[in-house]
Amino acid sequence: MRILQYTRRIVLSASCLILLFICIQASSATAAIAAPANQQMQVGHVQSNPEAARLLQLKQSGRLAKTVNVLSALPPTTILQFPLVPSGIKQKFPDATGLVTIVRGDRDNSTSDTVTIDVQKMPPNITFTIFFIEIAKKPFGHVEYVADLTTRGDGSGESIFNIISLVSFAMDARNPGTSQDDKEGLTSGTNLEHLGMWFSSLQDAQKVLNDETLKGTIFDGGNPPLHAGPQAMTDGQSAPVF
Amino acid sequence: MTRLTFTRRPVLMGLFLALAVLAAAFLVYPVAAQMHNATGRVNRSTTFQARSIQDLVRAHQLASTVQVLAAQPPSVIIQFPLFPSGVKKAFPKATGVVTIVQGNPAVSLFDTVTVDVQNMPPDITFTIFFIEIASKPFGHVQYVADLHTRADGSGDVTFQTITLVAFAADARNPGTSADQSGPASGTQLEHLGMWFSSLQDAQKVLNDNTLKGTPFDGGTPPLHAGPQALTDGQTDPVF
Repeated sequence: MRILQYTRRIVLSASCLILLFICIQASSATAAIAAPANQQMQVGHVQSNPEAARLLQLKQSGRLAKTVNVLSALPPTTILQFPLVPSGIKQKFPDATGLVTIVRGDRDNSTSDTVTIDVQKMPPNITFTIFFIEIAKKPFGHVEYVADLTTRGDGSGESIFNIISLVSFAMDARNPGTSQDDKEGLTSGTNLEHLGMWFSSLQDAQKVLNDETLKGTIFDGGNPPLHAGPQAMTDGQSAPVF
Repeated sequence: MTRLTFTRRPVLMGLFLALAVLAAAFLVYPVAAQMHNATGRVNRSTTFQARSIQDLVRAHQLASTVQVLAAQPPSVIIQFPLFPSGVKKAFPKATGVVTIVQGNPAVSLFDTVTVDVQNMPPDITFTIFFIEIASKPFGHVQYVADLHTRADGSGDVTFQTITLVAFAADARNPGTSADQSGPASGTQLEHLGMWFSSLQDAQKVLNDNTLKGTPFDGGTPPLHAGPQALTDGQTDPVF
């Protein structure tokens, strides 16, 4: 009887010890997750970012739009933000807003940039196309179709994609030409330094904006041509925003 | 002493039960995951989207090198190889595979593209472009990503952007061109190529100082990129 009692005691004690070990592991993991954020905050105060400083100088000299916010990111990352304002939807959705965040890792080694677009107070449940464009307003010039964004029922929406952004350009390789990139200097092709959002469907635009006279535009891929609607949001700047 | 034993017993039994529940959870999770995968395999064999794309291959609207995988609907997954062009002489065994994944075509916000290469010049950065024509003069192009090879000549990059309906356009005079879905706005970009991002790298790696600069990289100065390294090499579209 005594032997049985000892055996049971050992088994139960071992079980308790295992449970205690699991608890310690879980609390250590939680502490580890919280730690980097604190460390980053401390480092951020002491490290300068030459690329961010260079972009701020460009902004001060008017070669980057005043609306661009260059964040004090830790080197070697570069983080830019700029707002979008309503264009084609201004009358019906005057409070519509958008925010574009572009994150680039090391300027010389990153394989693409990460672009996040957040919108609020837009037409609900509508798909918009996103283009990098040469000119923020009509006639828009050379364009590059990069992503879509579908709004939620409350008119908010978000899209995140990875593509070359800060040095994006359009080109016909048969006759590439050159253009002035204010951030880089003289470059090949035509620099695309603005961003706009379009209704992907002309029918959606006509319904949402209550205007059947709207004409189709080219701002969506696939068949048929001119099935997209008008521009909805734009950065609205003359100077480059990225 | 007896009272203490009775108090300790429920506590210890409770701990023991909690441990048993944890162990059961760990055992059940992998089994459930396996069941889910098995269901996926059954659905993949009944996809219809892949069949319609295979029809496009037969109609020469997609190149014969394109593999349409039996993906679970509504996703579409295609793959095609890359062949050495500019690196053919110095790196004849260089290979590449491009994988394009589209979610539900009706609602997906972009496509995911993975480019894997092997037996390439080591420790070199290449630029990746969507292009109108697979070989010279390449036509309209879109710069989408970079890829830096490892010391063993392998490398991979994954990026997300509109791919299966990519097009180039000058909105002042966009024109139309034929897409797999019919006539579409702009000029369709249905090929993929990789270029040396640096002319100096290309001259060194290919041991050819007569190579000229090309426009296939962003930033300053113009024509600082090298020649095309890999191409899909097809006349028919690969995506």
